[in-house]
Amino acid sequence: MREMSVETKIKGGEDDRKPAKEKRNLLLCISCALLCLFIFLLWTGLEKEIIGKDRDVLTIGVFSDSYWNVQNGYSYRIVDDAIEVFEEEHPGVKVQYTSGVLKDDYSEWMAEELMEENAPDVFFVLGDDFSSFVDAGALKELTSFMEEDTDFHTDAFYSSALACGAEGGRQYALPFECAPKLMFVNKTILDSEGIPMPDNDWTWDDFYAICEKVTKDTDGDGMTDQFGEIGYTWVEALESNGIRLFDPKGTECHLTEPGVEAALNFIEKLNELSDGYEVSERDFDLGNVAFQPMSFSEFRAYQPYPLSVKKYSGFQWGCIPMPSGSQGDNISTLDTLLVGMNKKTIHADWAWDFMKILTSEPRIQAEIFDYSEGVSVLRSVTESEQTLQSLIEDSGSEESLNLSILSKVVEKSLVSIRFPGYQRARERVSEAVSEIIEGDGNINMELIIWNREINRFLEEQNDR
Amino acid sequence: MRERQVSDYVLIAMKNLNLLIILSLVLTMAASMRGYIQSGEAMDFMREARGFSWAGWKIIVMAAALYAVCLLVMYIQSESTTGLICKVCVEIVLGLLLSYLLGFSYMGVLLLILADAMKYFPGSKIRFPVAVLICLLYLFINYDFMSAYFDVIPLDVFLDYYESDARAFISGTQNALNALNTFVFLVYMLCLLWAQFDEKERILSLNRQLHETNSELQRANLQLEEYAKEEEQMVATRERNRLAREIHDTLGHALTGIITGTEASIALLDVAPEMAREQLKVIVEVARQGITDVRRSVKALRPDALEKYDLEKAILSTVEDMKKVSNVDIDYHCDTSLHGFNNDEEEIIYRIVQESITNAIRHGHATAIRIDIHRNYGTLIMKIQDNGIGCADIKKGFGLHHMEERLALLQGSLYFSGENGFTIEAYIPIRWGEESGEDSSGEDA
Repeated sequence: MREMSVETKIKGGEDDRKPAKEKRNLLLCISCALLCLFIFLLWTGLEKEIIGKDRDVLTIGVFSDSYWNVQNGYSYRIVDDAIEVFEEEHPGVKVQYTSGVLKDDYSEWMAEELMEENAPDVFFVLGDDFSSFVDAGALKELTSFMEEDTDFHTDAFYSSALACGAEGGRQYALPFECAPKLMFVNKTILDSEGIPMPDNDWTWDDFYAICEKVTKDTDGDGMTDQFGEIGYTWVEALESNGIRLFDPKGTECHLTEPGVEAALNFIEKLNELSDGYEVSERDFDLGNVAFQPMSFSEFRAYQPYPLSVKKYSGFQWGCIPMPSGSQGDNISTLDTLLVGMNKKTIHADWAWDFMKILTSEPRIQAEIFDYSEGVSVLRSVTESEQTLQSLIEDSGSEESLNLSILSKVVEKSLVSIRFPGYQRARERVSEAVSEIIEGDGNINMELIIWNREINRFLEEQNDR
Repeated sequence: MRERQVSDYVLIAMKNLNLLIILSLVLTMAASMRGYIQSGEAMDFMREARGFSWAGWKIIVMAAALYAVCLLVMYIQSESTTGLICKVCVEIVLGLLLSYLLGFSYMGVLLLILADAMKYFPGSKIRFPVAVLICLLYLFINYDFMSAYFDVIPLDVFLDYYESDARAFISGTQNALNALNTFVFLVYMLCLLWAQFDEKERILSLNRQLHETNSELQRANLQLEEYAKEEEQMVATRERNRLAREIHDTLGHALTGIITGTEASIALLDVAPEMAREQLKVIVEVARQGITDVRRSVKALRPDALEKYDLEKAILSTVEDMKKVSNVDIDYHCDTSLHGFNNDEEEIIYRIVQESITNAIRHGHATAIRIDIHRNYGTLIMKIQDNGIGCADIKKGFGLHHMEERLALLQGSLYFSGENGFTIEAYIPIRWGEESGEDSSGEDA
C-alpha cells in the first residue's frame, strides 16, 4: 500500500518534469546553434562583413620605395592612378592602402598582417617571397577568375612573366612588372680594340674570345688593367647552358646534368683570364671592364636621370642578351614583381578587378616605363611606339639599348625557381661550385658527391 | 547509487581539466604568434608554419566557444537511441573541429566525449561501436597522421618561439596535463565499472531473497494443505457432535415428556380414565413433535418451533407444551425484547431454555421452574432455577457440556450450581452494532 503511493508519486513527478526537460533541451539547442553560428562567422572571417567596417573598402598592400631598389620619387604614382581608374569603375568603393612600408620591411609586414588576419585584399608579392606565400596558403588561386572573365586575356602577357605567378600549374598571382637580365657592354673598349658589337645570338666562344682579347695591360706598367667581364658567375653560365639547378618543387638538385661540367669549366677558364686579379665594380665604373651582366632595371636606373650623377660618363655602352652556352640559348632569368589576392578576402570580385587594372590595363602598364624601372608585362605595351620614345628620352641615345631585343629577351626568359628554402639550397650550391673550381679533383666525381649531399639537404627541408 | 555520484564528480573534474588544457594551449599559441610579430619574425613563422591560422584572439574565442558548445550538447538529455547517436555525432564533430583548431596537438576532448557517451548509452549494443569509433578517432587523429590531409600548423612551430627552457616547461606541462586527463578518464571508467558491478551484485542479492521467500511460501503452502485436511476431519467431528446434540436435545426432550406423561397416565388410568385419555393425547402430540425434531436434526435444520415462530414465541410454546405434559409449574419472565438475534444466537438461546427444562424435570424431578431473561448493557443474561433435588457433586452430562460448547461459540459463558435445586446462568454478549436500536431502547427501559 505504502509502496504503491510512492510509485505513483514518482510517476507524477516524471510527468511534471517532462515539459521542463523539453524546455531545457530546447534552450540548450538554441544556445548551441547560436554559438555555432558565432564560431562559423569567426571561422570563415565573415564577421568583418557583418561588423561592416570594411564593407565598402578594398585594401591593398604596397611598399613605398621601388622594387628595383631605386629611389625615384614616384613610389605610389602608378598605384594611385590604378585606384583612380578602379574607383571610377566602382562608384562607392573606396580603395585604401597603408603607406610608408619600405620594401625591405614589406615581406615581414605582410606576414604580420596575414598572421593577424588584417592583410589587405590585394597585395604586391616580391618575386622571392612568392613561393613562401603560396606555400603558406596566403594567396587565392586565380585560375577560375581568369577562365571566367572574358575581358581577361592571358595571351596579352609575356608567358614567362605570367609563369612567375604560377606554381604547380595553378596561377596564384599576376605579374605587374618584370626585368630580364642583360649583358651590359662597354662599347668604348670594343671600339678601341676594333671588335664589333656581338650579335644577339652570340655564344660562349664569342664571349671568351672577346674577353681574352681585351684582357691586357694598356698603360704598360706590367699589370693587367683592362678586363673582359665582371659578375659573370656560375649562375649565369648554368642558365645559358640550359640547366635548371633545381626542379620546380625543390625536391631535387640537377648538378649532375651533362651541361654543368661544361659551364663550370667555362667559368674556370674565364676566371683564369684575369690572372688572379679580383675585378671590382669600380673597375667597371672606370670603364676598364668590357662586360657585366645586369638587370634591365639596373641598367635603366644607371641612366642619366636628372638628379643622378652620370655614372658611366667616361664610356659608351649598350645592352645585348646573354651569350649562349653550347647546349643552351641566349637566356637568363626574369625578375618579376607580382600582385596577389588575399585568400581570406571578402571582396574577391573587386580585388580581381583591381588586379586586372594593375596588370592588364595598358594605360597603367605604360606608366611603368615612366615611373618605374621595370618592363611592362604586357607585350603590346612594351613593344609600343610610346614606350620606345620614353626609353630613348631616358637614355638619351638610341644606340645604348637595342630595343628590338627587349621583348624577345623577356619572352625567352626563364622563370626563376623559388621554393621555400631556396635561398639556403642555393648557398649550398654556391659553396659546392667554389670548392669544385678551386679544387683540383675530378669535376664530375665531385659534382656527384655534392649533388647527393644537396639532395639530402633538400629532403630534410621538405620533411619539415 | 553512491558510485554513480563519484563518477559524476570525476566527469566534472575531467571537464574542468579539459578546459584548462585547451585554454593553456590556445594561450600558448596566441602568445607565441604575438611574440613572432613583435620580434619581427613573422616571415620565419610563415615559412616554418607553411600556413596561417587565425588571429590569436580568434583562436582563443573560437576554442572557448567550441568547447562551450561541446559541453552544452553534453547537457542535452535524450531518451531515444537516435537522439543519443545524433548527440554523440555532434559532439564528435565539435571535438574534431576543436582539435583541428589546436593543430591536432590535443585530442583529449574525444576522451571526454567518450566518457560522457558511456554514461548515457544504456544498451551495450550501441555502446560498443560508439566506444570503438571514438577510440579509433582518438588513436589515429594526431598531427602526424592528419598533417597529410589538413594544412594545420604544428604546435612545435608555436613552441619554437620560446626559449628552450620555457619550451621545455610548456611542453612538459602540456604532456603532464594530457596524461592526467587520460588518468582521470581511466578513473572515470573504473567508477562506472564499479557502479555496474554493484548493480549486478544488488540484483543477485535480490534474486537470492526472492528465492528464499519463494521456498518459505512453498513450505507455508504445504502446511496450509495439512491444516485443510485437519480442518476437514474437525468438521466431520463437529458434525458428529452436532448430531449427537440434536438427538439428545430433541429426542431426549420428547422422550422425557413422554415418560413423565405416560407415568401420569398410568396413575390416572384407574382413577380418572377420561383425564388419562386426555393426557395420552398430549403425549402423542409431544411424541409427534419429537419425531419432527429428529427429522429436522437429520436434515440439520433449526428446531421446528423456531422455524415456525420467532424466538420469543418459540420459547413460550415450549414452556406451554412442557407445562401441559409434565404438570410442572414453569414461570417464564422476560423483560427484554428477543428480536434481532442472529439465527445461531436464537438457536442457542432456545436450546438452553429447552435443555434446562428437560434437565430440571429429568434429573432434578422439579415441580417448579423459573426462567428469567433480562439484559444488562451488552449482555443477555438467562437464569433458569428449579426447586428439584439439585446436585451436590455436579457431573457434566452431555447436556451441560453441549450448552457450554455452544455458548463458547458466541463468546458467552455458563455458570451453574446444585444448591437449593439447580440454577443455570448463561451470559451471552449481544453482537455490537447489530442491535444498537434495541440497545438504546433497552437502556431507556
